[in-house]
Amino acid sequence: MTPQDHPQIVDSLAAEYVLGTLRGLARRRFEKWRATTPMVQERCRFWEENLMQLAKGVRPIRPPPRVWQGIRARLNLTAREPRLRPARVLAIAASVLLVAGLSAVLYWRSFGPGKLVEVATISTPTGSHVWEVDVYRGRLIVHAGQLPPHPTDRDFELWALPAGGKPVSLGVLPTTGTAKRSLTAVQQQALANAAQVAVTVEPLGGSPTGQPTSTPVFVAPLRAS
Amino acid sequence: MSAAAQSADLDEQLQLLLERCAAADANALERLYGLASPFLFACLMRILRRRALAEEALQDVFVSIWQRAGQFHSSRGRPMAWMMSIARYRAIDLLRHERSAPVLVPELPERAESSDDSRDEGAPWMPAGGLLERCLALLTDHQRNCLELAFVGGNSHEDISRLTGNPLGTVKSWIRRGLRSLRQCLES
Repeated sequence: MTPQDHPQIVDSLAAEYVLGTLRGLARRRFEKWRATTPMVQERCRFWEENLMQLAKGVRPIRPPPRVWQGIRARLNLTAREPRLRPARVLAIAASVLLVAGLSAVLYWRSFGPGKLVEVATISTPTGSHVWEVDVYRGRLIVHAGQLPPHPTDRDFELWALPAGGKPVSLGVLPTTGTAKRSLTAVQQQALANAAQVAVTVEPLGGSPTGQPTSTPVFVAPLRAS
Repeated sequence: MSAAAQSADLDEQLQLLLERCAAADANALERLYGLASPFLFACLMRILRRRALAEEALQDVFVSIWQRAGQFHSSRGRPMAWMMSIARYRAIDLLRHERSAPVLVPELPERAESSDDSRDEGAPWMPAGGLLERCLALLTDHQRNCLELAFVGGNSHEDISRLTGNPLGTVKSWIRRGLRSLRQCLES
């Protein structure tokens, strides 16, 4: 039988497969069929998308840390980012003191044409992730990780340093959670032309002058890898 | 932010992280794990009912997600539905080997443990008032209950018959009719 001849049977089997009530030999046969038949895959996706709502009442449970450690070990992800080369850090002693030991390593990479994704990861030398910065479809998405002790009456501000031009602010970095904002045309242009990015420590709310008011905590080359 | 906007936003983040996993970015996997593992772990616990087994399954699931991230296409569906399917199918596979040993005291937490984001309203990737929710409301209580026992609890026809005290044939028929009504409603 070809699935096209019996769409209703295919759909009923797909529904019970996704629901989980298709069991045993029938389930294994169906899986083989699904692996090779686009129409069967399409019906499974239909039910996967829709039946998901049945799990709406499931309350999240945080797994213990050993699970993630096990995943890392199984995938051999020993270093935090073995595939990326660290950029050279130009941390300046006085500023490092100001933020009580935040010494950062910046990685930046682009995932090539069509992806429109650029990522910077700012971590401490021990590998603890401080910020991760994504540029995605004209938006800047910054996730704060574990920040080392830092003054609470200051903000961190991210800057693009265009070659031969003035620094352009990309905004204040969050100290917890995720911050997202659309990049203005000026910011996008600055990033496209930037050779480096920098983080400075500024008064709360960001630099009042629109330009850095302190020596950067660090400066790192853009697209280092 | 509205529930629908929050859900679309999370979808976008998950999709971006999957793209990065496909490019072998280990940081992305760690973030994806942070966002998705509490919900997937809860789903696995509901089906497998034993913590050690659910932990093992969760490892399998994230190894699969890492290896198969390049196969995910957002045009064909939502990232959480894709990941949840990987988790549920893995759990059902494990049941094949494990359910022979009955679990007398399910190790289910009495109260939900909160996730990082203290999302108390349940799963943010499910917009309230979705089409399925409206269609589910059209089912009989028996039909809906059977579908939930199967999908969320990983119960077979036989399990549901035993749990609800209804004959096997009746349970099968409720499920079949429930799914048929859903399809008609969803595609109308």
